[in-house]
Amino acid sequence: MAILDLVGVSAGYGPVRVLHDINLQINAGERVGLVGLNGHGKSTLLSTIVGLTGWQDGSILFEGREIGGRRTHGVGRRTPGIVRQGIALAPQGDAIFPGLSVKDNLDSGAYTGPSWRSRKRRRDHVLDVFPPLAKLLGQSAGTLSGGERRMVSVGRALMSDSKVYLVDEPSLGLAPKISLSLVTALCNIDLGEGAMIIAEQNLPLLDGKVDRVLGMHAGELKLDVGEALGDIPPSSGGHY
Amino acid sequence: MVEVLISAFVLASMYGLVAIGISFTWASIGMLNLAQGFIFTAGGYTAFLFAQIASSAQLTGPLLSIGVIVSGMVGSAVAGLIVGAIAFLPLQDRQNFRTRSLIATLAISLIGTQVWLLIFGPQSKPLPPIFGDGRINFGDTGIGVGQLGTIIVASLMLALVIMWMRSSRSGLQMRAMMMNPLGAAVVGVSVRTTGMRVLAISGALSGLASVLLAQIFFVSPTSGVQPLTVGLIISLAGGLGSIPGTVAAAGLIGLAEAVTARYLQQSLVPFVQFAIVVLILIFRPRGLGGLLEDVRE
Repeated sequence: MAILDLVGVSAGYGPVRVLHDINLQINAGERVGLVGLNGHGKSTLLSTIVGLTGWQDGSILFEGREIGGRRTHGVGRRTPGIVRQGIALAPQGDAIFPGLSVKDNLDSGAYTGPSWRSRKRRRDHVLDVFPPLAKLLGQSAGTLSGGERRMVSVGRALMSDSKVYLVDEPSLGLAPKISLSLVTALCNIDLGEGAMIIAEQNLPLLDGKVDRVLGMHAGELKLDVGEALGDIPPSSGGHY
Repeated sequence: MVEVLISAFVLASMYGLVAIGISFTWASIGMLNLAQGFIFTAGGYTAFLFAQIASSAQLTGPLLSIGVIVSGMVGSAVAGLIVGAIAFLPLQDRQNFRTRSLIATLAISLIGTQVWLLIFGPQSKPLPPIFGDGRINFGDTGIGVGQLGTIIVASLMLALVIMWMRSSRSGLQMRAMMMNPLGAAVVGVSVRTTGMRVLAISGALSGLASVLLAQIFFVSPTSGVQPLTVGLIISLAGGLGSIPGTVAAAGLIGLAEAVTARYLQQSLVPFVQFAIVVLILIFRPRGLGGLLEDVRE
């Protein structure tokens, strides 16, 4: 059964329509790569799922419950509710809390869920995924480097006891080595019955690590490009 | 000299309570709450009504004092929620929320004054003394019990709120929202719920200040204007959203008022206060808080 089911989803900001009639099913236990050029709607698609776009239309079913529908205003008004149902987003630009320590930033991922009680165990789990954070726990998050921030942002999403994880451009602005280790860490997480969507510009980075790759072009979803992956020689290093 | 310092502390603790509320509200939901004066007065009048009921019920002593303080805080917290229901919830996700809510709270403030005038009339209403009117003397100076009580209660309440903000889960949610609203949304913190909570807490702090100030000046329909003005300039000078900065600014402004009133002239007080704030903002546009909390995006 699809854990996330998008039917005819459109979304945008003001007069600008970014997404056009998106249909997408994500199955439980699936790790999906979402690739496409800058400005073609990858981030908007992830934002739409949690209700952060200017307006949206179309059905989004999460475990059979409707979390989408038509909405003309109220940016982010429904986001906390959707997040609490079990969808975690690591947004573009990280949106970490600069004045809080790394530990508090990670804990914040468990603010509203039942995972608050088990936050210590979950934090240890996040530190297993991102070992460099262990030394920084007491440090203020505003003083971190870009890679460390990204780890905090993604780690915060992992702190919640969510079923679906949406990770927006984990490699953006990072040195190739760091982004590779970050994406590898993300792809090694055991999802269980959950699912993960990773939006990414750099297709070779996801090579062989995700179950399925979807292409995004001009706000429309292209057919699965999973097979095409093999045709792109990794040495070309070209952006999709 | 000691007396000037004591009076500076008394003023600083009362202004600090109001300013922290204004600062929290601004930093967390982006609303410059000009109705804070109305909220302030609401607490004073609630405490006055409670004192009237209490006196007919023969209530005296510590119970009366605690009752007056609590009723003042509850009254102001409710007023804060009312302001939120009018100026925050319906406007929060519209365009130009900051300007709209500024106008809305200004309107509430103006209408509120008239409402108090209609209900309670123009005469000032006294509150029963909370701490008694004794005096503790040491050497040739001394301190009034009322002054001492004001300082202790206000600092205790401030310390409590700061501790709660730093360690409790809802306190952390509020601080998170101040630093990054998008980040707060994606971890499941609702701006609307948390915003109303901020308004209630800011209100309660103002209510406490109102009851404490009523020990010196009685409650009147316009008694919220002065605390609002001074609270506003303190929160600006302190750096909006910064607790240590606001406390420091409250101390500075309180000291300025005490010194000016004692050695110069009472009528020069606002002049000196505003001059200090203008100087602070010229040299530190982000307020004193920038000096103490250097991590901010």
